[in-house]
Amino acid sequence: MAKKQTAKPIDSKIKEAYIDFVLEHGKEPASVYKFAKDLKMKEVDFYNHFNSFKALQKHIWADFLKETIENLHAEETFVEYSSREKLLALYFTLIEVLKTNRSFAMMDLQKMRKGDLKPAFLDAFKKHFHKFVDEILLQGKETEEIIDRPVIGDRYAEGLWIQTLFILQFWANDDSNDFEKTDAAIEKAVNVSYDLMGKSPLDSMFDFAKFIFQNR
Amino acid sequence: MSERKEQSRIPISKIQRASKFVSTGAKVGGNYIKHYSKKAFNPKMDRTQLDLDNAEDIYGSLSELKGSALKVAQMLSMDRNLLPPAYQEKFTMSQYSAPPLSYPLVVKTFQKTLGKSPYAIFDTFTKNAVNAASMGQVHKATKDGKTYAVKIQYPGVADSISSDLRLVRPFATRLFNMSNAELDHYMSEVEGKLMEEADYGLELYRSKEITEAMAGKIDGLYFPKYYKDLSGDRVITMDWLDGVHLKEFLATNPSQEIKNKIGQALWDFYNFQFHELRQVHADPHPGNFMFMDDGTMGIIDFGCIKEIPDDFYENYFSLLKPGFMQDKDEIDKRFKALDFFHEKDSPAERKIFSTVFLEMIGMLSKPFQYDTFNFGNNAFFEEIYAMGERVSNMKEVRNSNGARGSRHGLYVNRTYFGLYNMLNQLDAEVKITKPEWLNGRTEKVA
Repeated sequence: MAKKQTAKPIDSKIKEAYIDFVLEHGKEPASVYKFAKDLKMKEVDFYNHFNSFKALQKHIWADFLKETIENLHAEETFVEYSSREKLLALYFTLIEVLKTNRSFAMMDLQKMRKGDLKPAFLDAFKKHFHKFVDEILLQGKETEEIIDRPVIGDRYAEGLWIQTLFILQFWANDDSNDFEKTDAAIEKAVNVSYDLMGKSPLDSMFDFAKFIFQNR
Repeated sequence: MSERKEQSRIPISKIQRASKFVSTGAKVGGNYIKHYSKKAFNPKMDRTQLDLDNAEDIYGSLSELKGSALKVAQMLSMDRNLLPPAYQEKFTMSQYSAPPLSYPLVVKTFQKTLGKSPYAIFDTFTKNAVNAASMGQVHKATKDGKTYAVKIQYPGVADSISSDLRLVRPFATRLFNMSNAELDHYMSEVEGKLMEEADYGLELYRSKEITEAMAGKIDGLYFPKYYKDLSGDRVITMDWLDGVHLKEFLATNPSQEIKNKIGQALWDFYNFQFHELRQVHADPHPGNFMFMDDGTMGIIDFGCIKEIPDDFYENYFSLLKPGFMQDKDEIDKRFKALDFFHEKDSPAERKIFSTVFLEMIGMLSKPFQYDTFNFGNNAFFEEIYAMGERVSNMKEVRNSNGARGSRHGLYVNRTYFGLYNMLNQLDAEVKITKPEWLNGRTEKVA
């Protein structure tokens, strides 16, 4: 993976070397000093770009998502997608991107504790995810694909984040051919969340209950 | 978004699927209670309402399961002659409606299979499916002025076949009055065929092979061309066929002449496959036939092909030979070969089953005894149905252990049922073509 091309910017060189090291040794390098030395660079070169291995790890995960979103925009029909389709496409493409780095991704995903909603290595990833999701939620609300509800309307993004963690976990444990089960899981999970966010009988029930309460 | 809404209701996990069946079982049970409590007040009530209620609940749960369970529903609907009339309509519907895949997943499937997204290959491509296939869905596409039908398989279909069939089991034993042993016999054949159907590479190969062998052999039939370079594991591209399904076609009130012409083409189509090719399009449900106003017909979907082994072929069709019913030695020989008789049968059992099977064969092979046969004759079908019900209620038949009849017979019988059934709906009068040796003039050499 670590192709030593001089033309490459230094930060991606560091990233590749790091992934390579983690894959081969099953743990992160002992120190930045040793790591930089092996790369034939000065320690300060490393710190110019990343302030620790943890930060580097976060950066790598954020890059997975950035690459995903870039790939999405390369698909010319993407702009015509509905909000629901955009989220589906995001997940499908993300899984494709992660697939090329599965061994690396698995190491972090397997270490993730169940019920941990804020795994540290996904910090930056989460920020980018929220940016994307805010846009598609806005689109969904404009097209009335999604109903804005008081109080819970602001928590939709949080819900979708939990769903993302579920999908990542599912993929990490998926042993089906070509991860077909993950595809099915994505399809179903997204449909559930969009149906929940869309107009449902609960809305009319709530509206009715409110009316009765105000007019009794 | 209404068509999407459907999909979120597909039960996700195996446990949910299983509970779906349990709840259906409970509903069916409830229908019986409803039936008998109503009947207490109105003794004249028959089972029609009960059957209708059951069919509705069963259909409701099967259609939500998609995949193999839907396929089983289709199979059941094809054997409609052996089903109470109330089930028939409901199950036939399953051939047309299945919840669609989202477009992003279609794109992903394309990229995985062909390395490009649909728009990079075609000039236009419908975002939504235009038709449901049992294991996938069909999109319409154009390129350089030509129209294509692109079939895309649902992800994970092959994986879910075995577990789906296991789920249907307890249910099927009750619904069709079968013992577990009988069902095993049935299921292993069905499972094998379903696995083949899920293999799009095989389907492409067979489609090409059969359509090329059939080309120009029968008047009024046409087949799509299949495109290998636009197909793969999960995608099959073929010519788009115009025309409408049987129901819509009949709604246009075609003339008797046209109906006969189509009926004849259908009969000849199957005759050629059974006797010349020895492999047969074993999925004769109405969705696979596209009818045109001028009485020509397009045939699609060669995913389900039954190859007929030579010894089975000879034994099975020997039953149709003139004079078979009178020849005791011949009956004994063929019935043993076709597993109608078991080794451990007592003489009394032999007698009962020999009577039952002879009666069934006599009935089902009736068209073969004529030069022309009018399939529009509903009395013939009612007789078959009445006989099916009578036989399945016979104590001796129900208590017999072990399945009877060769497993190869399942798909062959199903094909004939499907054919009869379509000819019946077409109200067609057909010239019964059959190979020389069935006329009794020449002796068959295997």
